[in-house]
Amino acid sequence: MRDVAVLGVGMYRFGMWSDVTNATMAREAGMMALRDAGLSFRDVNASYVGHIFAQVMSGVRVMKEFGLTGIPVQRIENASATGSAAFREACLQVAAGTYDVVMVLGFDKMSAMIQQSTQGTAPENMEDAILPAGFFALWATRRMHERGMKVEHLAKIGAKNFNNGALNPMSQRQADKPVTVEKVLASRMVAWPLTTMMSCPIGDGAACAIVGRADLAKKLRPDRPVVRVVASTLQSEKYAKGHLFVGPVVGPAQMSIDSSKAVYEEAGIGPEDLDLVQVHDAFAIEELEYYELLGLCKPGDAEKCIEQGDFELGGRVAVSTDGGLIARGHPGGPTGLAQIWETTLQLRGEAGKRQVKDARIGMCHMMGGGSVCVIHLLQRD
Amino acid sequence: MANPRVPIKAGYFTVPDDPNEPPKFLGTKCQSCGEHYWPRRAICARPECLSERTADVEMGPRGTLYSYTFVHLPLFGSTNLEHMDGYGVGQVDLPEGPRVQVPLAGKQGEFRIGQTLQAELDTLREDGGRDLVIIRFRPVKQSEVAQ
Repeated sequence: MRDVAVLGVGMYRFGMWSDVTNATMAREAGMMALRDAGLSFRDVNASYVGHIFAQVMSGVRVMKEFGLTGIPVQRIENASATGSAAFREACLQVAAGTYDVVMVLGFDKMSAMIQQSTQGTAPENMEDAILPAGFFALWATRRMHERGMKVEHLAKIGAKNFNNGALNPMSQRQADKPVTVEKVLASRMVAWPLTTMMSCPIGDGAACAIVGRADLAKKLRPDRPVVRVVASTLQSEKYAKGHLFVGPVVGPAQMSIDSSKAVYEEAGIGPEDLDLVQVHDAFAIEELEYYELLGLCKPGDAEKCIEQGDFELGGRVAVSTDGGLIARGHPGGPTGLAQIWETTLQLRGEAGKRQVKDARIGMCHMMGGGSVCVIHLLQRD
Repeated sequence: MANPRVPIKAGYFTVPDDPNEPPKFLGTKCQSCGEHYWPRRAICARPECLSERTADVEMGPRGTLYSYTFVHLPLFGSTNLEHMDGYGVGQVDLPEGPRVQVPLAGKQGEFRIGQTLQAELDTLREDGGRDLVIIRFRPVKQSEVAQ
């Protein structure tokens, strides 16, 4: 298998962009990634496009924005993990020797999707009764019961991610002054005990990663460290007692445990070697659970570690450094690629005010409803 | 006379003729390993089993509350005034084994992990002279738990 590197990254800031098309957002993110890589679209051998809500053919149509070079274009969809799954496919193909340079492009307009679904969709599914916020609130109630978690622990995660987002110009939510635990607690209740500031927003946006042979990275940009993809996994659910089949579901918990073990083994490292981690923090309770499931702390220690600030910028291992889904945003297709964007900048030392000192290894973890878990480990030379 | 009741989606739960009779969950029992499932499925999901010998069963109507929340938004697709200020959601363990995730009747303060609940039908809206119903759970009063 050949070594794989992230050659370039680009983003179109996530937000509510009702006047901007998917094609425009995707073109700008893609051109930014090509320039970052030091490449032209002529150099791209193939493309994987990730979108959830856009209609059929959108992927191949949007790719025409870059020019009609005849390359293979393939759409990948895996709910929230769409961008991550597309990235994995590109890594596998470069590692296998199929392609040298692949463009991975994610875009979505979740705001348009929400408008459509509230305009007369018949709730013919049992699933419609339970919103994602409700589903994850059930995790929180159970955690309070089993581990004595307090709502303040969730608020602290929300505040951390808002404050990280304020240091990221690509973040959807930009707080004008530091966000406190009290402010998060006082925001509107969505599904008890989760408030709006413990939950990700709806948004639009695009993100792109150029993936290619690692030896090209050094040649194209000798001025900066090579960021390698050292492990990749995608797993679906394994049946166990108490398995949920109906409702908006990600899990079971074992899936994140198994997936993280797989990438640690592939890269020959452990969770103690990580400098920064991006997770699927659509809701603060998820981030709390993933601290333990990914091995960032021992089972039952998450609350204590939150109190100590272990996962803040400057803490033991920084989590959701760009604001996470809660602040940076979660349009759908591009979300997993925003994690790659952030981790790549961090490992190159280009993350500005939110830079993690001497960052060498980063993890990107996404869950996709249905469900799947996708994890990548990135490491700089 | 009350409207006839029809499920919002067929194949998930029973709609008894007698309004006082609680609904049951339409599930599957694996004839090879004995595992129960909701909703119905043709092939056993256990990786060690994967048997195609499955049979239809009815489960419930009682269960034990594993976790709960109260959603502060109207219930999707409902015109029932009771649902406008929000609704409870629970994960409930059926005695046969499956954990189900459905709305709960009552207010947040009435829910307690470990309590016994009973399934009931709840009307979402009227549709051409029929009541469209979903299945939900309601906490059973302490005095009635032993029954």
